[in-house]
Amino acid sequence: MKFNTVIIGGGLAGLTAGISLQMAGKSTAIISEGQNALHFFSGSLESMEEAPQRVVDLFAQAGISLHYNPGYRLMPMGTFKKSTLSLEDISLFPETKIGNKALIVSFSGYHDFFCGFLQEGLEKQGVQCRVQLLSLPELEHLEKSPSEMRSVQIARTMDLVWENVVREIRILLRDEDTVILPQVFGLKDTSVLSRIRQGIPAQVVFTGTLPPSVPGIRTQMLLKRRYELLGGTYLMGDQATGAHIHDGSIHSIVTHNLGNHFMEAENFILASGSFFSKGLRSNPFEISEPVFGLDVEQADDRSDWYNPEFMREQPYMKYGVTTDASLHAIKGGEPIKNLFAIGSILGETRPELGTGGGLAIRSALEVADQILKQTAE
Amino acid sequence: MNNNEFDVIIIGGGITGAGTQRDCAMRGLRTLLIERSDIATGATGRNHGLLHSGARYAVNDPESAEECIKENMILRRIASHCVDETDGLFITLPEDDLAYQQTFVDACRKAGISAEIIDPELAKRLEPSVNPELTGAVRVPDGSVDPFRLCAANMLDAKLHGGQVRLHTTVTGFIREGDTIKGVHTRNLITGEERDFYAPVTVNAGGIWGHDIAALAGVNIGMFPAKGALLVFAHRVNNMVINRCRKPSNADILVPGDTVCIIGTTSTRIPFDECDNVSVTPDEVTLLITEGAKMTPSLSSTRILRAYAGVRPLVSADNDPSGRNISRGIVCLDHEERDGLKGFITITGGKLMTYRLMAEIATDAVCRKLAVQKACETADIPLPGSEEGSYEAVAQKIWEKPSTAQKAAAARMGSRASRIRTRDRLDEALICECEEVSVGEVKNAIERLDASTLTDLRRRTRIGMGTCQGEFCACRAAGLLAKAHGCIDKERDDLKEFLQERWKGNFPIGWGDTLREAEYTQWVYKHVLGL
Repeated sequence: MKFNTVIIGGGLAGLTAGISLQMAGKSTAIISEGQNALHFFSGSLESMEEAPQRVVDLFAQAGISLHYNPGYRLMPMGTFKKSTLSLEDISLFPETKIGNKALIVSFSGYHDFFCGFLQEGLEKQGVQCRVQLLSLPELEHLEKSPSEMRSVQIARTMDLVWENVVREIRILLRDEDTVILPQVFGLKDTSVLSRIRQGIPAQVVFTGTLPPSVPGIRTQMLLKRRYELLGGTYLMGDQATGAHIHDGSIHSIVTHNLGNHFMEAENFILASGSFFSKGLRSNPFEISEPVFGLDVEQADDRSDWYNPEFMREQPYMKYGVTTDASLHAIKGGEPIKNLFAIGSILGETRPELGTGGGLAIRSALEVADQILKQTAE
Repeated sequence: MNNNEFDVIIIGGGITGAGTQRDCAMRGLRTLLIERSDIATGATGRNHGLLHSGARYAVNDPESAEECIKENMILRRIASHCVDETDGLFITLPEDDLAYQQTFVDACRKAGISAEIIDPELAKRLEPSVNPELTGAVRVPDGSVDPFRLCAANMLDAKLHGGQVRLHTTVTGFIREGDTIKGVHTRNLITGEERDFYAPVTVNAGGIWGHDIAALAGVNIGMFPAKGALLVFAHRVNNMVINRCRKPSNADILVPGDTVCIIGTTSTRIPFDECDNVSVTPDEVTLLITEGAKMTPSLSSTRILRAYAGVRPLVSADNDPSGRNISRGIVCLDHEERDGLKGFITITGGKLMTYRLMAEIATDAVCRKLAVQKACETADIPLPGSEEGSYEAVAQKIWEKPSTAQKAAAARMGSRASRIRTRDRLDEALICECEEVSVGEVKNAIERLDASTLTDLRRRTRIGMGTCQGEFCACRAAGLLAKAHGCIDKERDDLKEFLQERWKGNFPIGWGDTLREAEYTQWVYKHVLGL
């Protein structure tokens, strides 16, 4: 199996790189273990202070409309957070104030959406709030099982019965100017979001739930579909386990499922994420990168990895694989000529590229451009 | 009769205080228990949860050994829903002296502990996780006991006998007339309310903090704070308690409990001002893993859930720097005899295993002062929840076809689980998936078991004790607490405190899957939920 580029990791970084290369006619493959950070995506891309048309277009072609509107978004605990480039689910406000009167709507038996915290947070801002819990017959089958009232399960039902919710809310609505709903809508069909907004005579603010994130899973599905429509090969449920390196270049990589069929390519991109996604591995003595054994920036003494205060910035989250100026990954102090690292496996070793979603997209586009430039040369 | 007058006031909501309150209440006394934090926050909730057979003390401290085996048999009867009858092994490893085994077995038998030397091959079959290189094994009646549950059940029974409990309430001073303690000044640390309570006898059951309480009353008890560190593993690797058959040392007990197992401990003298905030050092973590893996090799590759430490309330006898040679024996001080201070008793020393005996001794002393004749019945009457045998039978009786979550609830609550049976199916929804804790069980703990914070809830329901360490259940339960108490602003701070408390036990062992989970939790609360 030979490709122009093999990408390890099918999250936001890997898919952005894969789509960009496929659009330029390169043959690529993505190896994905399955879940990634998009499954708890907040809906706003971190550290995207500007909105490059290229990014908006790339998402739009996948069926995802991003809107750029620097301001504040309402967080699930009733706080506000500065945000810029966001999915259409997310409402952005110029100030930390959403209206005068709000109706907060959730479902009875659903504990992953925090009406009380939202109410308290908003009332502090002078917003009068009323909470209503809906009991829909269509959700009874979920209520019966003690662990089924979760975001994605509800969203699957909402894809079918969202109109009933709109009807109920129209009945409940008094003089509120704002309706707050959990992000459990439009899992399969994003047009549902705007149809709900049209159907309710007040501004509708979709607010986050406990993971999994419905907007995040939708984004993952749409980007993956776009990648596959462009001819990309997405190997779901596989894992890169090792690599063959000759003369400072990667010749091929070994995967769990393909066994002796090695994946050869001219370029390799490592987009395997941080600790959560197992891109970085840790034991009591060190933090390592498991596929290639790359150099990882870290403090030598484990005591320095953590801040004892949970809510403070944690040093370990800043650690990542080291790279040269053009994002070539470094092993034993030497850059590997055809291996690039992108996304959160970089930690905060490249602060100029941002963090979170911003880092994923910027580093992915930069590496895709380099690969295309090389070929052109 | 005024509602601030009692026959006896007990200070301290650990197992000793709870047990003493139960005993006093069962003898017909009007009791008040005052605890500055929550139940089982000190040494009670910070140990192995080992139902000692006494074998560990048989060679060096035969008196403690005899007390342990007697109480062991009593707890199996009266606290069956808190006890797991696992049995235990004392294993000899190649580096240990096998000759010690006979000394050990002889001492056990002398103390009344059944100790049977078994073939190492049989030991491997009984407990497959044991180091296969063992050269000897002795089987003893060790087990495990849930100290939170035991403490809650004692307090609940005291309340069923008319006792009053005031949690999150601190004693700010004693009401003293001449040479007699007449009562206490208190302040509620949540509401700020200040109140005085009166009783002819006050019992100091404050564990290591009993030192400060005694000082407040103007008497001195020389205590010896000895920190012990432990690690909780994410799996129940062993099914029997595993001990080293040698002189008691560091990290030589591995106890299975619920879904986890716990290795410990260490012993380090610490200053009094550190008792409120003990932490586990990297050296202690290394020691616990290294020594633990000698008994059970798979521990070296098992995920560690958290590290924690407790402070033993030892009464100092000499200047031994390690604290290991001090007797774990029970100390009951009648300060009238000792210091000329009337109406004040201190019950301390001892251990979780002998709490009931300590309570009996303290209550006997109280009754002598009050001239009450009634005999102690705590060794015979089961605790609430333990009246009806196995949790499976209990669950069957309540639900007919119990789910695994309902069985888990029955295991935690015993027959009291019938309180959470409800016609409202929404109460069956799970708040904590790791430990299978339902909405109904959380509501029960809030309404009937005085849980006012998330950490209180954890001690009563195991919420947040599982593999995710509160990642998902904490904010769900916070929603229920906020609703019950109507104070959402406080609940936000409570949630932060709970996550901080979980992190305190996570970062000393922050690597591998524990670090993955922590990264996820930190992401979710900061970036997704916006706490």
